[in-house]
Order: sequence, then structure tokens, then C-alpha cells
Amino acid sequence: MSIYCCCFLMTTPLALTLLLLTPLTQSHQFQYQTDEQFHEELVVRPLAGDHVNTYFQFTTRWHYGSQSNLYHTQLTPRVIAEILQTYDVKELHIGLTQGLWRYESWGYPIVEATGGAELWAWFSSPNLTNSSVNKQWMRLANVFSGILCASLNFVDNTNSIAPKHIFRPQFMESGNQSQQFVRYATLPREIVCTENLTPWKKLLPCGSASGLATLLNSGYVHNTKYHSLGVKVRTLCDSDDSNNCIVELTQTANLVYDLKLLEQSNTDFSLRRLFGMGLNGYCELATSSKIYVQRNEQGERFQLSPQPQQELISTVGGYSVLYGVYDIQQQFEGPGARLFNIAWVGPKGNSKREQTSAPPLYAHRYLLGNGQKHGRIATEVINSHYEPLPVVLMELVPWYVHAYLHTLRICSKPQHLHEYTTSELKFNLLHYAPGKQRELPTHLEVGFMLPARSSALITIEVDYLLLKWLEYPPDANHGHYIGSAVISSQLPIGRNYTAMPPEGHLFKDSFNASRATYTLTLRTEALIVSLPTPDFSMPYNVICLACTVVALAFGPIHSVATKLIIVERQTTIPRNLLRKIVHKLSNRFSRRSAPAVAAADQQQSKQDGKDKGIPSLLEQQLDQAESKKPRDKQANM
Amino acid sequence: MGLLSDPSLSTHNKLVDNLAKHMRKLCYAFYTAGVVWFMCLALPEFNHGTYLSENALSPGLVYPEIRIDANRLAVQMLEELQRERKDHQATTPHAWILAKLNEFGLETHTHNYTLRYPFGGGKEFHGKNIYGILRAPRIGSTEGIVFSAPYRPPNSVHVDITPSVPVLLAFAEFARRKNYWAKDLIFLVTEQEQLGMQAWLEAYHDGDKEGDNSNSYLLAGNLPARAGSLQAALNIEVQDLEIDYIDVKIEGLNGKLPNLDMFNLVQRIMAREGVTSGYKQTPRKKRRSNFSTYEQNLRQMLAMLSTQSSGVPNGNHGLFHRYRIDALTISAAKRVTNSNVKSNPSSAAVPLLKAIEGIARSLNNLLERFHQSFFFYVIVHNDRYISIGDYMPALVALIACSFLKAYLTWSTLDVIERRPQQDGDVAEGYLGPAMQSMKLSLPYGVVLLYLALALFIGYVGNVLPLQKYFMELPLGAGPLTGSILVALNLIGLVLPFVVVLPAGGLELLHISLLLIYGCALIVIGLLNFSLGFFVAVLSVPMVVALNTGKMNRTLRGLTRLWTLLLNPLVVIYTIILIMSFYQFPELTFQQLLLRAASAAMDAVTFALIDSVIYGNWLYFAICTVFLPLWIICWTLALAKRSDNKISQTKLKAN
Repeated sequence: MSIYCCCFLMTTPLALTLLLLTPLTQSHQFQYQTDEQFHEELVVRPLAGDHVNTYFQFTTRWHYGSQSNLYHTQLTPRVIAEILQTYDVKELHIGLTQGLWRYESWGYPIVEATGGAELWAWFSSPNLTNSSVNKQWMRLANVFSGILCASLNFVDNTNSIAPKHIFRPQFMESGNQSQQFVRYATLPREIVCTENLTPWKKLLPCGSASGLATLLNSGYVHNTKYHSLGVKVRTLCDSDDSNNCIVELTQTANLVYDLKLLEQSNTDFSLRRLFGMGLNGYCELATSSKIYVQRNEQGERFQLSPQPQQELISTVGGYSVLYGVYDIQQQFEGPGARLFNIAWVGPKGNSKREQTSAPPLYAHRYLLGNGQKHGRIATEVINSHYEPLPVVLMELVPWYVHAYLHTLRICSKPQHLHEYTTSELKFNLLHYAPGKQRELPTHLEVGFMLPARSSALITIEVDYLLLKWLEYPPDANHGHYIGSAVISSQLPIGRNYTAMPPEGHLFKDSFNASRATYTLTLRTEALIVSLPTPDFSMPYNVICLACTVVALAFGPIHSVATKLIIVERQTTIPRNLLRKIVHKLSNRFSRRSAPAVAAADQQQSKQDGKDKGIPSLLEQQLDQAESKKPRDKQANM
Repeated sequence: MGLLSDPSLSTHNKLVDNLAKHMRKLCYAFYTAGVVWFMCLALPEFNHGTYLSENALSPGLVYPEIRIDANRLAVQMLEELQRERKDHQATTPHAWILAKLNEFGLETHTHNYTLRYPFGGGKEFHGKNIYGILRAPRIGSTEGIVFSAPYRPPNSVHVDITPSVPVLLAFAEFARRKNYWAKDLIFLVTEQEQLGMQAWLEAYHDGDKEGDNSNSYLLAGNLPARAGSLQAALNIEVQDLEIDYIDVKIEGLNGKLPNLDMFNLVQRIMAREGVTSGYKQTPRKKRRSNFSTYEQNLRQMLAMLSTQSSGVPNGNHGLFHRYRIDALTISAAKRVTNSNVKSNPSSAAVPLLKAIEGIARSLNNLLERFHQSFFFYVIVHNDRYISIGDYMPALVALIACSFLKAYLTWSTLDVIERRPQQDGDVAEGYLGPAMQSMKLSLPYGVVLLYLALALFIGYVGNVLPLQKYFMELPLGAGPLTGSILVALNLIGLVLPFVVVLPAGGLELLHISLLLIYGCALIVIGLLNFSLGFFVAVLSVPMVVALNTGKMNRTLRGLTRLWTLLLNPLVVIYTIILIMSFYQFPELTFQQLLLRAASAAMDAVTFALIDSVIYGNWLYFAICTVFLPLWIICWTLALAKRSDNKISQTKLKAN
């Protein structure tokens, strides 16, 4: 508490020494301290196959009570608080991910995310309609596009859907229950990089100046096999008292390191090895600052140095996990600057790879068929559990791919067989919103019961559309993306399950959080389809050619449009040379009134033309063009 | 009034008449022009130097990182594999390869497939492929590159290429420790030559096939894991770790080729690593030839075209092209003991490994699929090529003959027809209704039926050998297919004697033959230039020589003989005879004839199997296109006219 006060006071312009010892401010500070809290946590879990999962979670909770606006924030970034009110957002999830979580070897992640950018939000307010939510949704995406420097501004109605069954709200509303709207969109093409990490870190109370966030150096974070940044905001209100509300902002960074890529011979690792530096302290604004290290399963073979201060056993759904806990605030209690490092020392000369058992439910997705005309999207869901599991699958198929509902098929096979039999599974639940070219994506949700120890293959046939040539993205031959499918289920056991319970907000809340079922959400791979792509060198050629033609045509058209064409009767010019001269002389004398020089020039040119026997209008014009300018000048003068 | 029936637009003008008189000369002039153009393409003035069109490839931009320890690993694994091979005489040491891939930390899977051999009497053959996927750190498994190595058991009849697997594994081990991969790398070991590769590709792209697959011969099954859309593939065939040179094989199924950029990439990287490599590379001794550049180029071109024309891929890479995956094979030949070059066995394979790494990293850089550069080309020399725009005129000139002749024959049709009537006809200049009625009164229906009949014979050749009741006959696959085809050819041979077309039918048949022939050849030429070109070179003179009108007796006899010689079966037999003559010079002529006959039967059967398993359309083209065309040619060469036509003209003359 005292640390927190110090820090808060440092922000005031008053002298530090004076304020440190004034007991008067104590009551004032106390009020803020209960209002807003910040926690930082880091979880390190060694995974199978020489991988290490590090999970950062920064939680800010603000119990804002009866304030009418949320402009005066302390730890919560103001943008976040403001957005909640402006756009009637009650819950918001943003994920920026690079890579793919491999369920089969890594188990389940603490926070789910799909490759690229993913965004979903719940809206709720008394006067909301569907169309106003659509507008708010786009504005919200645009705001976060700026906040996180991501291409979220590409989220619009052509790639968003309103999921029906798959997402459940995690927020709580007060009093009267108004209608709730949800919107979901993914941008699988989005590439996540430093430019997203830096603004993400800026949302933290301590930024990247101190605390666990100092470990997130882009040079190391982006060399991982999987990295996912997440922002989750939700409001929790007392159902009876509308003035008793909490805003909860959870920022997560989920990284998976491949120890083989760290260029070292053995499998030892340390915080310094993973992040490039040790920990230089904790965030002074944080209420708690802890590191959890998994000691069993894959973590069993490692010796820790230094030893954790505390060990915890968490039993969830019949499966126990042993965690070693380091309290960083305790570690840095004494005076003096130092760096804190934890080293994992593996056994020497033991290269034998232990077999890992696959988690109860996992999924894969792939594209079948060849050619650029049509194909089949196949999603395979595998249940290795001994009980049947309920599965809901959501597909968001972009508009440039036409899906046909009548071709939707769910085949199943026992796990040990290689090929799918013709027996089809019946679906218990189906929601289908057909896509519309250039307007709406296809939205499909299927729910079915997946028998024990078997897998289901859900296929749907699609046609690829030939786009207008401006609709192709740059690097058109790279292909177009189809975002990942989202699969949801209820697991009866807690094996490999580490996700946070919806009522908790800290990682330690997931300890011993046994319940009847565990809601699981999975993301599959994204797909690349190669739509029929025209040869883009052709438009280029056409542009070049058209420009040349225009340039060539411009000269004559310009001169025709700006000059007088005087056609002289041929009969006036006699053929005889002698008469010609006579004619010329007489002409000259008779036409004194006309601009003398120009006329003479014109005459001359015509004469030349005649002499050569080429009655050329163009030549006339060219000569005129030469003669016109001085003439105009003269006129102006 | 319609455009076609407008009498003022008479096709019967002087120019056409004059051209028609010199029709044959004109056609032969076109033919010569086409062939000469083709020969000219070998001249350096007519072909271009290769260049890299896709900038993303940027070959050789990075320093190779693979070191001597990879070579050491390859040598060590080769020793292990040789020990394994002693226990696996006819099978692949799956367990050993799986264990190795697993040890490197790759995701490993096996793929099982089944072949129902069409002539095996319901027998099934099983095969197993092994692959490991390196999941790239920089991508969510949306794109992949395949590195494959075929495995041959010790009892295989083909060249021993055991070291390919250790080289592949050594590279996999190296690649696993790098974090720059932006495409998943698949390391695939196939067995049973192209069958394994075909099964794997089919499983990858078709997964579980819709409906029941009782009709298909290759049951590919499904794959347990994939790596997104495949961008490129490299097939590695290494005879020995100490390599002499590398032969880059590119010809794929149905004469398809990988993108020229891919070939150039391999050439550049090999050159940088100091590995002798090239297209159709030969051992050092053979390379030192005293041919002129022109002759060498022409030989190279013809060699490429002849490989392409059969449509059979010359390596596992060829099957990828069907799925629009650019692929080629680098086939490293064993070094024959050469006193000049002393190489250290502990670092012998390093240049090859470096080259593979370079190729992999260039492919890894690809942002888009191969789409620039050329997909249709002929390689003249390792660094020179002919693009489609340059070689197509040769084929077009050849085929132009048939269209030209069709036009001239059509426009002079009434002249030929009228000539016997000229005595009685007073108004010679009057052309309108008489000409129209002449063209209208031609027996279109009968000719159409005749064409359909010829096509049907061809179609039957395609379907019949795979029928159940034929397969149940106690005959081998070769004799069965051979006899069916011979029978069909005999039917075709006899057909003109049995069916005699009514008056004017022959002329109409001639025109339709010329049109169909032209169209068929241009289509085949576009799909597989070499096949179209060779067929055109062989058959165009015969088609030009065909004449339904009056002809010298000896000339007609010659034409008939020529037509007979160009029967598809006769051509196949002749080609195989010549090939076996070169292959087995020790045989007597009679033995040679017999051997060629049995080889031809086998060849036909293999073509049929290729067409049903791999989708090679050579057999289909020969049966459904060339055989009917030949039947029509034969009909025209015989020129059997119906008697009533002659009696009619006689009557009129009287």
C-alpha cells in the first residue's frame, strides 16, 4: 500500500520529502487505492517439444461507482473508459496474433486467439438497434485501429457477423435487462509486429518503464513461434445497484518460445535468455506483481534457481498442477538496484522425447480440391475423450467465396480409422446467414454431439469468385484468406485446461476453480485460397498504352481545338509560275487590313505545300501554331 | 439476305482459283516454313537468355549457413540407413525414418494408401509415405513448401538413390534450428516411385473423396496433417554423397513444366555453390563433344521435346504440376572415380546441402505463388530458352496448311463438281443458285454419321480394356490391351471398304477431316507443344498429299502406303522398334521385331494405366483423337466412290 501511495504522490508537483511524511493525505489516498487496482502476473509453462509458454497478464480493475462520466481515470487508460460509454460497449476482446497455437502438443492456451487480428464486442444499451450497433461497431474498430496501430479499420459489415450461439457474454448488467448485441470480425491477413506492441504497452500504467512489461522487448517477442497480444475490457455491474460498477481491463501477452531456435545446445533457459534481460523491478503502481512457474508435467525435469518462495497446488477438474510462485515485490524489498533472473536447468544428457497425450478436443482445418474455380472447406474436430462432447462450430466465410449450404456434410469416424465412412452426424443446431456479394459474409454455426473417441469432418463446398480488378489486394497472387473457424465445447475434465474462469480476473483465480463443465473455445488454422487472378501485368500494359495514345492524340486535338482553320479555295491559286507570282503580289496588296506578317507566313506555307504537291492541313496548322503566339502577343499589346 | 448466302460475296474469285491451282505447293511452303522456323530457334539470335523475373526470389542474397556438421550427419545417417537396408530388402525402413524425423523435433506422420491394380484381378497393393512437418515460426500454417526424396528398396530395378534420404534428413535437422522460415516445410519420403507421390498429393488435395470410391484404382485416403497451400516443391534424388554433376529434371505430367523462374533459381544457386548442374546434364566425358553450338542447341531442344511428348513425368516432381505447384527434381549423379578431382569425403555433400538451403531460403522469400516468367518454354541451353511466343509460330505454320487446304477445297468445291457438267451448262458465269444447291445438296448427315462412327471406334478403345468381362479373360494386361487396339485398328482399316459414302461425301469428309485435324492439333499443341509438333511434322505432309480427285495411279498407291505407315499403332511400333534397336544391338532382326512387339504391348498398357491412375492423357488422345482421324485419312486415301455417282455422271455425259 505504501509503495502505491508513494508513486501516486510522485506524480504530484509537490516536493517529495514533504509529502512522504504527511499523514493528512492518507485518507485521500485510501479512497483511490480501493477504487483502482493494477496487477501484473507472469506465468511460465514449459511445453512439450522444447517449447516454453510465457503468459503475461496485466489487470486493471476500476470500481467507479456513481460517476456519470469516466473521464477521470487513474490507472485505466482514458480511451478505454471513454469508449465504453461512447459506444455502449459492455465487453470487448481484441487479439493480435502471429503464429498458430498447436493444441496437439501444447495443450490449451490460457487465452485463445486466432492468427491475425480478431475482434469481438458486446453492445448493450436501452435504445440500441441493429443498424446503430453496426455503425458503433465500425467506429469502435476504427478507434482501436488508431490505439493499437492495427488495420482494424478494415472491419466493416462485409466481414463482420453477429454470432448466435458460440459466444456467451462475460459482463454483468445492472437493473433492467436491455437487448444485447454481439459483433465478431477477423482479419487473418494482419501481420502483428513491433508497431502493435509499443502502443499496447502504452496502455499499461507503468508503460514499459518498469515491471514485468520491461521483459517484452520486440526483438525477443517477435522471435517466438507464437505471440499473441490481447486486450479484454468488460464491465461488471451490480444487478440491483446501477452505481456499483467495475471496469476491468485485462491485457495479455501470450508467447511460445522454441528453445531450439534460441541457438543453444541444451534445453536450459532463463528469463534473461528468453527476454534478453532480467527483471529490473516491479511496477510501483501494481498491487501485486507475481511470477508463476509450472513445476509438474513438462516443468518437472527442470531445477529452478532461485527456488520459488512458495508452491501452490491447483486442482481443476481432477487434474492437479503445481506452481512455484515468486512475489517480485518481496524480491525487490531491500535497497539497491539489481536484476532478477530465474533459471531453468534441465537434466544433462537426456534427449529422450516423452510422448505427450493430445488434449481432449482439438481441430484442424484445410482446403480441399484443386483449381481456381471451386473447392471444399474441411474442418476436422477430434474428440479423444471417452465421452461424447457437444461441439458448436462457427464459420465466417468471406463474400468472395460462395458457400453452398446444401453441401454441408458432417461425417464421423472412430479415431483409430483412417478414412471417413459415409455415416453422417446429425446436427442439433444450425444457424446460417447466406453471404451477399460485396456486402455480407456467409455465417454458419453448426452444433452437434461428437461421439466419444471419434472425429468429425465438416465439409462445405465453395465457389471462388472472380473479383473486379480493383478489389484484388496488392500481391494478388498470394491468395485470399479465409479466417479460422471457432469451435466451442464443454469439457467435463480439466486436463490441459488453464483458461480463466469468467468470474475471476487474476491468474490465481483459476486455481482450484473446479466446476461442472469447462467452456472451451478453439481456433483453427486460417486458409489461403487462390481466387482466379488475372495477369496483373495486363492492366499495367493497358495503362501504359492508353496513356501513350492519349499523349499522341493530345497534340493534334489541342491544336485543332485552339486554332482557326482557314481553307482556301484551290482555284484561286493559278498553276502557272508567272501567274503565281502575279497572284501573290496582288494578294499581298489587297489584304493590307489583315495582320500582315501572319497572313504572309500562312500564304507562304500554303504555297510550299502546294509546291510539293501535298495539300496538308496538318502542316498548315503547325505553321499556324508557330505564327499564332506572336500574333496574340501583339494583339495584347 | 444473309452474309453467307449473299451471291455478291462470291468466294469464287480469281485469287482463290489461282491459289487453288497451287494449293499443294502453297501448303508445302507453309510446312517448310514451319520446320525451318523451328530449326532457326536453335540459333542464338532466335532465343533469349534466361533471367529471374520474380524479384522476391533474390537467389544468393543470403550466406549459406549450413556447415560441415550437416554433412557429417548425412554421412552418419547414410551408414545407419545402409545397415537398415540389410533388413529391409523389399520395404522401406519406415520406423527408422520416423524416429529420425521425430528426433529432430518435427511433427511426423505416416500416410497409407492402397492401389487396386486394374489388371491385378482384384489384388490390392499397400504403400506408406512418411512425412515430417517443420512448423514455421513466422506463419500460421497457411503456406508450405515440400522437400521430397523417393526411397527405393534394395531390390528395386532402378538406380540406387539411397543417399537422398540422409541428405533430406540432414537438411531437415539444419532447418529445424532456424527461425526465419515463413512457410511450413514438409519433408516427405515416398516409396514405390511415382505412385507414392501421386497418392500423397491426391490425399493432400482431395482428402476423403466424396461418394463411394469403388471405381477408383488408387485409394489415397486422407492425411493426418497438412501445411496449407503448397507453393513449391523440390524433389531430391542423390546417387551418392560425392557428386559429379546435377541433372535438373523439369518435365512433368502431360508435358507441363515448372515456372522458368524456378529452373533459373536452381541454376543460379548451383552455379554459386560451384556444383556442375544443368538441364539434361551428362557426365563430363560425354559433355566434351565436338558439335557446334547450333547443333548442341538443336539436340537439346529435340531431347526436351521428346521427353515432354510422351507426357510421362521423368521424376516425382512432375505430379505436382497438376495441382499448380511448381516443382522440379535435382538428380545428383555419382562421381565416377576421377584422378583429377580429389574430394574430402567428410565435406563432399556440403555444396549440395548449401544449394538446397539456398533454394529453400529463396522459396521461403516468395510472397506470391510463382506467376511471373514463363510456364511454357523450351530450354535450348542451360541459360537460354525459347518462349511460347517464339515457338508457337512453327506449329501454327504447320497447322495452317490444313486450314488453308480446307478453305481452298471448300471454295473450289463447285468448280470440281461442275467440271463434268460444263459441256451441258451454257451459262458458265452464272453461279448463284447452282452453286448454292451444290453445297446444300452435299450429304451432310451421312458424313456426320461416318465421323461419329470413327469417333466411336476411338472411344471404345478408351473404355473397352477396363471392362470387367475383358479383365476376367485369362490374358495378360499387355496382350489384352494390345489385341483390343489391333482389333479396333482392323475395324478402322476395313471400314472404308464396307461403308461407301454417297456422291460428294468424300469431298465433304475431306474438308471436315482438315478442319478437325487442324483444331485437334492446335489444341494438343497448346496443351503439350511437343506432342502436337511431332504429330504435325509427321502427319501434315500426308494430309496435304491426300486427294479425293483424280490422281496418278502410282501416286495414289504411294499415298495409301504413307497413310498406312502413319497408323498410330504402326507409329508406336516403329518408335519402339528403333528404341529397342539402339538398346539391344546384339539381337537379330527377328528377335528384335518380336521384342519390340511385346514392348509395344507393354507400352500401350502402361499408357492406359498412366491415364487411369495419374491422369496422363496420351492414351486418350491417341485413342479418341488420332485413331478416328487416321480412319478418315485412310478412307480418303482409298477414295472409294459409290457407283451410282459414276453412273450418274456417265448418264449426264451421254
